Amino acid sequence: MGAMEGLMQGIQVAFSWQGILFVLIGVVAGTLIGMMPGLGPISAIAIMIPITYGMDPSTALVMMAGVYYGAVFGGSTSSILLNAPGISGTVATSFDGYPMAQRGEAGKALAIAAISSFVGGTVSVVLLMLFAPALSAVAVSFGPPQYFALMFLGLTAIASLSDGSTIKALITATLGFMVATIGIDGQTGTTRFTFGNPNLLEGIDFLVIALGLFALAEICFLVIKRKDTSLQNQGDIGSLKLSKKDFKEMRGPMGRQSFLGFILGVLPGAGATIASFIGYITEKKISKNPKEFGKGSVKGLSAPETANNAATSGAFVPLLSLGIPGSGTTAVMLGAFLVLGIQPGPLLMADRPEVFWGIIASMYIGNIFLLVLNLPLIPYIAKILKIARPMLISLVAIFSLIGVYAISFSTFDLYLLLIFGVLGYLMRLFSFPAAPFILAFILGGMMEQSLRQSLTSAGGDMMILISDPVSIGLYIVSILSFIVPIIRNRKEKQSDQEEKSDAS
Amino acid sequence: MKRLLMFGSLFFVLILAACGGDSSETSGDSGEGGDGEWTPDQNIEIVAPAGAGGGWDTTARSVGKVLEEEGITEQNVGVVNKEGGGGAVGWSYINSTNDPHNIFVSSPPLIFVPLNGQSDLSHDDFTPLANMIADYAAFAVADDAKWENLNELFEDMKEDPSSVTVVGTSSPGSMDHMQFVKIAKEAGVDIQKIKYVSAQDGGGMTQILNGSADVFSTGVAETVEQVKAGKIRVLGITAEERLEGEVLEDFPTATEQGIDATFVNWRGFFGPGDMTEGQVAYYEEKLKEVSESEAFADIRNNYGWDESYMDSEEYSKFLDEQREELGSLMEELGLNQ
Amino acid sequence: MKTLNQKLSVFLILLSAGYLYLSYNLKEYPYVPVDSDFLPKVLGYVLIVLAVFLFFDKSSETEEEKEKRQVPKKEIFVLLAVGGMIFLYIFLLEIIGFVLSSSLFIFACSWFLGYRKLKTTLLVAILFPLIMYLSFNYLLQIRLPQGLLPF
Repeated sequence: MGAMEGLMQGIQVAFSWQGILFVLIGVVAGTLIGMMPGLGPISAIAIMIPITYGMDPSTALVMMAGVYYGAVFGGSTSSILLNAPGISGTVATSFDGYPMAQRGEAGKALAIAAISSFVGGTVSVVLLMLFAPALSAVAVSFGPPQYFALMFLGLTAIASLSDGSTIKALITATLGFMVATIGIDGQTGTTRFTFGNPNLLEGIDFLVIALGLFALAEICFLVIKRKDTSLQNQGDIGSLKLSKKDFKEMRGPMGRQSFLGFILGVLPGAGATIASFIGYITEKKISKNPKEFGKGSVKGLSAPETANNAATSGAFVPLLSLGIPGSGTTAVMLGAFLVLGIQPGPLLMADRPEVFWGIIASMYIGNIFLLVLNLPLIPYIAKILKIARPMLISLVAIFSLIGVYAISFSTFDLYLLLIFGVLGYLMRLFSFPAAPFILAFILGGMMEQSLRQSLTSAGGDMMILISDPVSIGLYIVSILSFIVPIIRNRKEKQSDQEEKSDAS
Repeated sequence: MKRLLMFGSLFFVLILAACGGDSSETSGDSGEGGDGEWTPDQNIEIVAPAGAGGGWDTTARSVGKVLEEEGITEQNVGVVNKEGGGGAVGWSYINSTNDPHNIFVSSPPLIFVPLNGQSDLSHDDFTPLANMIADYAAFAVADDAKWENLNELFEDMKEDPSSVTVVGTSSPGSMDHMQFVKIAKEAGVDIQKIKYVSAQDGGGMTQILNGSADVFSTGVAETVEQVKAGKIRVLGITAEERLEGEVLEDFPTATEQGIDATFVNWRGFFGPGDMTEGQVAYYEEKLKEVSESEAFADIRNNYGWDESYMDSEEYSKFLDEQREELGSLMEELGLNQ
Repeated sequence: MKTLNQKLSVFLILLSAGYLYLSYNLKEYPYVPVDSDFLPKVLGYVLIVLAVFLFFDKSSETEEEKEKRQVPKKEIFVLLAVGGMIFLYIFLLEIIGFVLSSSLFIFACSWFLGYRKLKTTLLVAILFPLIMYLSFNYLLQIRLPQGLLPF
């Protein structure tokens, strides 16, 4: 059977009334669960699995896929409105989304996020449809040395994530890296820095750090400024309407990040979080005015939102075409397949074309639903900001606390959250940026493991790190991304001076 | 400083544990009749000592569902996730609540984690109720690998252990590592020289497919699709006899290749340390009903698990043997603490 | 020990010394070329070097940055009180349950921070935790602490 026939079968599944109905149920459930504190796609899928018992497999999976990208879609809301990222994929969203909402443009921020998500989701589905089988080779092409190079590239961006002192950025990054070393070491089984506490054996959860450094630290500031009248416009939601200029700004990031995010999603282990960070960083690097980033830039919001949704579709490549789950989320998704008696893998496309293509085709409909359902809801959701300041503070605190409790069910993690909240506040007082901390925490763990995996299998030979074109290419890009901005700065300074001397 | 911190955090955990206990102890062992029979008088809580979606969680949720939906228990059955420390956090939760309505699901890590020194609690501190299912390990290589069977692989490893990289999902001293070590040891490989790397998030399969590693030590079910597609081959599995089912029946066991060693990834249920005979009998009976139900047979089939019911007594004996065997291997590797 | 950067730098050096001490006491695993202590040691020394750079960093703070740190004494007390309330909340969470502790927290915290509409506060303090609890426990099958309440 040809791919075309399979695709037609898939379209039939996706556009049947059951298909459309269950995609709708899936994306609505996913968005709602994704908006809940601490519940991201993993929990959303795990929660929905029992509902699928006994359903027709292709309909059920169409729904589960909807739950998955719906949850990624819904996760950005709390990042933008409350600076409380519910899942790791939306941390970068808060960098510019929250400042924009604070400026009184919450409606616009949510609309940009929704449209970027839609574009990222849709473009990547086209890529998924055209290249899924061909890309399965790309998915397994990365071994430990290549991952190391990729993480290296991500880390070189640390300096650019902060506008203030580079030294301070590097210091917070080092601290984030240190926190990542807590727990059982994967390559030796040695327990590091746990002080005999079993709660620390698996390391500190990402969400504890993100909610502590961002949401709780922000609460501290809100507490102090609770009577500040100069910030009155924060309750404003602003217009939803995007100007032509906004669209023009979004076009670049959306176009580029749909592709980049998708490719990073295809690589097992990279996923939406890394895609969103790298998306944010690349846009900042190539932007003409990087100074805008972090202060509510349209590009800075659009880039991570496009990338994380594109990566979500990308993650379906190794899952569907190889049966390899590239992340915790897709591992649970794989579980959902197994419950229904479907084994994803190289044979899925030939054996069950209606499932394979059904899921892909349904993602078009799902993304349209997400946009159509969410845009009209934005004014209502953004009303959260109208809540009086003291009440809002209490609610955000509870939101962060449940968020952490719902993933670990231990009060120990809640105390940790409080500690990171205090740390985050102190860091902000002393102008140490939090973003490099979180980036180093995410990349650091993977970077260390891939370095040591490479060296173990090579028997300690460092040359393995630079023995193939992909890694070398990634290193070259890293070095360029480090040097080019410096040169550009110099040139700008020179030309500034020339102008001055001309003038005088 | 380290000591102080350690003491501090221990103290902290103790306080927390004590607090956690308060709420449930009050209703402790009510329901105990005069003749030693026992029925729960509140909802049963199955603890999965891991996050949602993993092996323990799936087992807990599917058994919970059968218990409730088939009307085997009158009470509701809820699943609670207590994630952390490879199980250690969940175990200390059960130990501190000490309520017969709280049971938990476990598997070989209950042996490995205490042996690694990562938990003070071992299966001795709990009451084994019943084993439910068995799963087996498979050792897979890429389809273009030069080895046709385990013996060829182990011959090469005996000659030059550094020429072969083994990859698994978990860290050294845990299941994926030790299941390979156990078989290799029997074949005469110098187990101290085995090159083992741990790769999470689907990294193991990826690494043998792209040649970063040579052998993937994993569960049988994870290999089936790739074998069907002709991308990898399974050199051997750790079951005693060949398994049933399409593709599965083609996997040779280590035993039939002349290597007299097996490894079972068992999964069963445990209760807190002090349980009465009546309580144990209650769970034994209910779990046996689950194991024999058609609904659970379907679930086993879907996940590729083997039926392997053991009652409480048989189960504890089995666990003691397992610990002895694996403990001595880990001692040889210096992983034992 | 004059400038702020120098104080921070000394603190960071002490921190990395402690971290390095722990790194040097990590258990050895003899079968890998790069052991688990390698990266922590590197990080420890990197942090020391960076802290030394910070020590000699002469760049003064911008006015904006300085202003951010000017927190009135009274506000510090308010912050500590909110932190204390969160601490108490965590402590009570598994004892009296999610609904009760959240209600208490929302009510107490909002009131403390100056929200004086009694009816609204009560309404939110009771409804928000209740809706959260019911949807987590029954809709999503994720169990939050039940505590003293019978459901």
